[in-house]
Amino acid sequence: MAGNPACERFIPLLSPYIDGEISPTERVNIERHLSACKACTGRAADLRAESGLLRVGLDMAVDEVDFKDFTQKVMARVTPEKPPLLERLRLSLSEMFLYQRTAMVSSLATAAVLMLVAVPLLLGSRAPTGYAGERMTVQAVRTYEPAKVAPVVMETDNGSTIIWLVDQDSHSHGASPALGGGDEAQSDELEMEEAPLGNVPQKTLPAKKDDPAPKGGSL
Amino acid sequence: MATDDLTLVKRVRDGDQRAFKLLVERYQRKVYAVALGMLKDKEEAMDVSQEAFVKVYKYLDHFKGDASFYTWLYRITVNICIDIIRKRAGAGGEAVEFDETMPMDVSEANIGALGSRLGTNPQKSALRRELAEKIQEALAAVPEKHRAILLLREVEGMSYEDLSRTLDIPKGTVMSRLFHARAKVQKILSQYLELDEAKSGVGSE
Repeated sequence: MAGNPACERFIPLLSPYIDGEISPTERVNIERHLSACKACTGRAADLRAESGLLRVGLDMAVDEVDFKDFTQKVMARVTPEKPPLLERLRLSLSEMFLYQRTAMVSSLATAAVLMLVAVPLLLGSRAPTGYAGERMTVQAVRTYEPAKVAPVVMETDNGSTIIWLVDQDSHSHGASPALGGGDEAQSDELEMEEAPLGNVPQKTLPAKKDDPAPKGGSL
Repeated sequence: MATDDLTLVKRVRDGDQRAFKLLVERYQRKVYAVALGMLKDKEEAMDVSQEAFVKVYKYLDHFKGDASFYTWLYRITVNICIDIIRKRAGAGGEAVEFDETMPMDVSEANIGALGSRLGTNPQKSALRRELAEKIQEALAAVPEKHRAILLLREVEGMSYEDLSRTLDIPKGTVMSRLFHARAKVQKILSQYLELDEAKSGVGSE
């Protein structure tokens, strides 16, 4: 029965053969074999019968179902009566996972890497070190009313800023403590007769550094 | 004549809801048949079918006109089904493994039995009916990816080319999976047939 050694080669081809998915040459070969091999003829018939059964079986199952309101139900779901925002967000996220899993995973990975890089940078820019922190920019200079201190803001050529705190009643202070920077300041800022307390940029009250935005390192 | 899919899709994109309704009506039975064949559970199959259409509608903008609409629709359907099957498996449900390298024992003893007993007559003989009812059980024994191919082939009559596009696998894989899926289903059906013969004493005519 299964004695024909050629069968082995032809058996896997019978399935595409009954589907008509085989090259014309193969087809000729198969048909030649079939005309000589009862077993394979039977196999091909089995495959056809099975295929027919599947169709009939599924058809029967589908016939049992009433599709009358199927369309309506679908249409009701696609015509916007939108679910609450959170629900929509959750849905679309889970759907993205379903259909764009690879894209999601890779973008998540990218996001993770970005976080790794950006967070230290952000943290870094949040806490510049020392007066000379290069990224510092002054946003506001204020003094408390009773402090009797007036800020003097100076811009240098390269765009950085020096802030002087000038004690308005400081005639009496003698100003000796702040000599080093003070001298320079006086020469620069002659209009201010008061002796500067010292070049203490940034010690002013809410002199905030710049940019909490995730710009990373730039300025 | 019926408007073709792509024209309808275009209309839907332009905001014509009726066009979408036509698409749903065109494919609902087949989508349901595929879902039922995949999941075996009627209610679940119904839910999945609706879900598939809803998704299609939602993602219509992502649909590229270079593929046919129905390959896309079936791809979505099959993906939802496979997802459900995997969840079931994760919850301790069925998980059919399949080893394609295993030699197939295509019920050698019974060659031709199915064909000769059923003939090519599409009449719903009692036996045919009985076997057809077993189909879903037989399908359940086939691993999900093979099952999907078999269903799309039989329900929609998809070409191997379309199958390969729908499921994103090479044509050769389509061919071999289809072969294995059929062999598996056949084996189970033959067992029923033998049982039936033993019961009714029909024997080989």
